[in-house]
Amino acid sequence: MSGPPAPTTAPAGLDALLDRVSDERMATTVTALAADAFTGRRVGSPGGTAAGTWLADLLAATGAAVTRDTFTVGNVPQVYAPPGVSWEQGGQVVPLGFGRDVAVHLASADRPQPLRAPLGTAGYGDPGGRWLLVPSGMSLFDAYGHADGAAGLLLARGVDTDGWHYTMLAGPNPGPLPVLSIETGLHQRMTDAAHRADHDTTLTATTPIRRTEVTATNLHARYRIAAPGGVDLLLTAHYDGVGDHPGLRQPAAADNGSGVAVVCEAARLLAAVLPDGIGLQVALLDAEETGALGSAHHARYLTDAGERPLVLNVDGAGHLKTAAAVEAGGPAHGLLAVLDQAARHVGLPLVAGPVASDNRRYAAAGLAAVGIGAGMAGYHSPADTPDRVENATLTTVCRLIVATAWLAAATPATLLSLIGDER
Amino acid sequence: MNDATSTTPAAGGFTGDPAAALTVAGTSGCCGNPAQATLTLPDPAAATGGPCCGTTAEAEQAGSCCGTTAKQQAVATGQGCCG
Repeated sequence: MSGPPAPTTAPAGLDALLDRVSDERMATTVTALAADAFTGRRVGSPGGTAAGTWLADLLAATGAAVTRDTFTVGNVPQVYAPPGVSWEQGGQVVPLGFGRDVAVHLASADRPQPLRAPLGTAGYGDPGGRWLLVPSGMSLFDAYGHADGAAGLLLARGVDTDGWHYTMLAGPNPGPLPVLSIETGLHQRMTDAAHRADHDTTLTATTPIRRTEVTATNLHARYRIAAPGGVDLLLTAHYDGVGDHPGLRQPAAADNGSGVAVVCEAARLLAAVLPDGIGLQVALLDAEETGALGSAHHARYLTDAGERPLVLNVDGAGHLKTAAAVEAGGPAHGLLAVLDQAARHVGLPLVAGPVASDNRRYAAAGLAAVGIGAGMAGYHSPADTPDRVENATLTTVCRLIVATAWLAAATPATLLSLIGDER
Repeated sequence: MNDATSTTPAAGGFTGDPAAALTVAGTSGCCGNPAQATLTLPDPAAATGGPCCGTTAEAEQAGSCCGTTAKQQAVATGQGCCG
């Protein structure tokens, strides 16, 4: 190990370290994680497991002692076949494109066989035997109240700027009926047609979705041991994605290959330069997309073990607009002050804003935790590709993490003080 | 002041109090609650919430840690959102 930074944090030393941040290395990591072989990294999937193995090797190659921690995640949804959906009106059949026109709603029952039925509107007329178009403003819960004997429900849902439905893994439990999400404009056209044509307009659809119990794996990498009572830094990012659909790749490059790349690069640089007595560890977390379950599991482990690291979580380092969002929890006043100082040093504007990610689990466990989100394109869709992850954003966020850790190491008394955190 | 700040570009850092990051809207979402000792938690029954994750009631209805509409808004504005 090289010597510690001077207590006054010599800018030259920090700047020299910041200059070593490699956008090329981070981009390579993002591209690798987004590759076909990892199939979008859904928790418990073969691709997700393979990604974990690949990342464990990556961390070990930078000198970390790597351990895996497995846990069970139940009820993980998976669309196991493309839903075959077509709309027939006046003898003309219009196939609906999976991912753009239509998606299987998380609340849907599993129905692999095609179901053909006339269209109707929830809350109007007899719902029996019809696919019911749910009017805007009517909740799914309310729609069930109008769906006695219905074939299924059709909810309107906006698509993103690339025209894709985004995929979620956390959401409502399956209900008794098939449920499809229909692109808003198409939903309106179908509603208009249903009002005009009664049985002349029909929908034929399958809703192949199932839920399974899987094994998730967190990766823990320890680079440096903290002195008793000393500062222990924990850098975290989730490596799981929502996973590919049949026929639709969802690479999860920005969410959160970018965060993983930033954390790995920052740890690689910091491991060699932090002072003795400053701890450094990385947790690459699974099952964030199913409700931040990996961090919940890890936070429980930390508290049971009596460890109280300072947590910096990165979720989304793909597309910086004007500022990175920061959300903090727990006794984080000192950590926020250092983060602010680091951001001023690297020239990254920060704004207090929601970062609903793994940082919340650590904060809920009473740890000082900061979540950083610099934005992303193609959220949870086939458009989350490596080419849309900006090297400049990767670099900027990594520089922020490195500078924060460096300054934290230089001012441990500030970080460990409870001033401002005891109320 | 730390020497490191003397070369700091003016554009970086928080424009206001960094501690505002401890009280952002949505921190009562079911992804986890911040340590209560440091926060004034929003009323769980409040009808309005932040862009992500919305109100607790909305999240509960969606069966998720985020209300469906709040999630959609968060995505549209490029903000991260769990689960």
